[in-house]
Amino acid sequence: MNKRIDFLTVDILLVEDNPDDAELTIRAIKKHNLANKLFWVKDGEEALDFVFARGEYTERRDEKHPNVILLDLKLPKVDGLEVLRRIRADEKAKLIPVVILTSSKEEQDIIESYKLGVNSYIVKPVNFDKFFKTVSELGLYWLLLNEPPPNHS
Amino acid sequence: MSKNLKKELREAQVSIAELQDELNRSNHGMVVLTMELENKANELIRVNRELEREVLEHQKAEEEIRNLNEGLELRIKERTTQLEAANKELEAFSYSVSHDLRAPLRAIDGFGGAIMEDYSDKLDSEGQRLLGVIRKNTRHMGQLIDDLLAFSRTGRQTMGSIKLDMSVIAKTVYEELNSLTSERKLRFEIKRLPPAYGDWSMIHQVWMNLLSNAVKFTRPVDTPVIEVGGTSEENENIYYVKDNGAGFDMKYVDKLFGVFQRLHSASEFEGTGVGLALVERIINRHGGRVWAEGQVNKGAAFYFTLPKNEGDLR
Repeated sequence: MNKRIDFLTVDILLVEDNPDDAELTIRAIKKHNLANKLFWVKDGEEALDFVFARGEYTERRDEKHPNVILLDLKLPKVDGLEVLRRIRADEKAKLIPVVILTSSKEEQDIIESYKLGVNSYIVKPVNFDKFFKTVSELGLYWLLLNEPPPNHS
Repeated sequence: MSKNLKKELREAQVSIAELQDELNRSNHGMVVLTMELENKANELIRVNRELEREVLEHQKAEEEIRNLNEGLELRIKERTTQLEAANKELEAFSYSVSHDLRAPLRAIDGFGGAIMEDYSDKLDSEGQRLLGVIRKNTRHMGQLIDDLLAFSRTGRQTMGSIKLDMSVIAKTVYEELNSLTSERKLRFEIKRLPPAYGDWSMIHQVWMNLLSNAVKFTRPVDTPVIEVGGTSEENENIYYVKDNGAGFDMKYVDKLFGVFQRLHSASEFEGTGVGLALVERIINRHGGRVWAEGQVNKGAAFYFTLPKNEGDLR
């Protein structure tokens, strides 16, 4: 779906370990032609490597941060909350809008996420039509309506 | 010796003999007394020893009670820790269910939808209908999961206890429901409800379930009416939700509040059969009771009680 060259100019970083959910999300974003620069990583460690330009993403060093990060919570290696914590702990990266997109409706997760400074918390609907609508609305809002923080890397 | 002297001597001798007799008797008496004293002394010693023994036994019994109590307290602590651990396990399990079970459902529904969209020209109407059945069932399962989770959570979570304005809660819930069914002409009558003590979100759930049922089951009626009221009795408040909808046969009234129990088929009315079970569980936890009356196609009335005083909550 994406790799080498694609990871340089990225508007949306999708952090999702479930490939089926990822496919459905990307499908919904594509529907509104918002998927131009969507990049998908499958675990928390890759997400951090991407944001902090390490590992296989060192070439991103001078690139600007994505306009929004869609972050799942249950991720292998480094989980969603930890990813959020580390992003918010970094001087430059902390401005990146982060939207948590997760199956979890658990109060503990919602509270922790807001405590860590998430911009938005969305529960993935089971009903696919609703899910599709939700992701489309998300995409439209964060990529078209919302004003991202000014260019910075 | 003179006759007088001899007489005196003899009298003296008699006196001495008498005195000696008395002395002997006294001595004998003394011996008896002494023996009695000794006996009494021995008995006292014996009784004392028995008392000592009894005291020791009492002390031993007291210590045993103390040990038993300590043992009991220890077992209570252990049992509480076990219960807390079991509760935590259940929480983790519910969390897992909530998270992990929902994902595959979304995939089934979503990819089913993708087929519908991308291959609609290659699928005849029967193929589309079959796909639709698959998707409908995944949604139903999703609802089941949510309802079951809510049901299990109600049994475990700690309850708050505040004064509740029942009129406000019922009205708010109805307004939420009404916004979803605005096309229908539903008549909603609500009388002043006495306040109660309880957990806000749980009681909110009770009104939600009862009122959404009333809305659902009055769908086939031309002039649907839902009536909400409450009375303040001596020790409790009784609240009711009445509707003139599909109703039910009283011979099935015992099944009404069972988990997954339904009296209608899914094609007549959607639902998971957990709503009323949830209501009963919540009201029971509040120390109240629920019951219902109904008539097929005439309507149904659901009642629940809540204690009047704060202290009555469990």
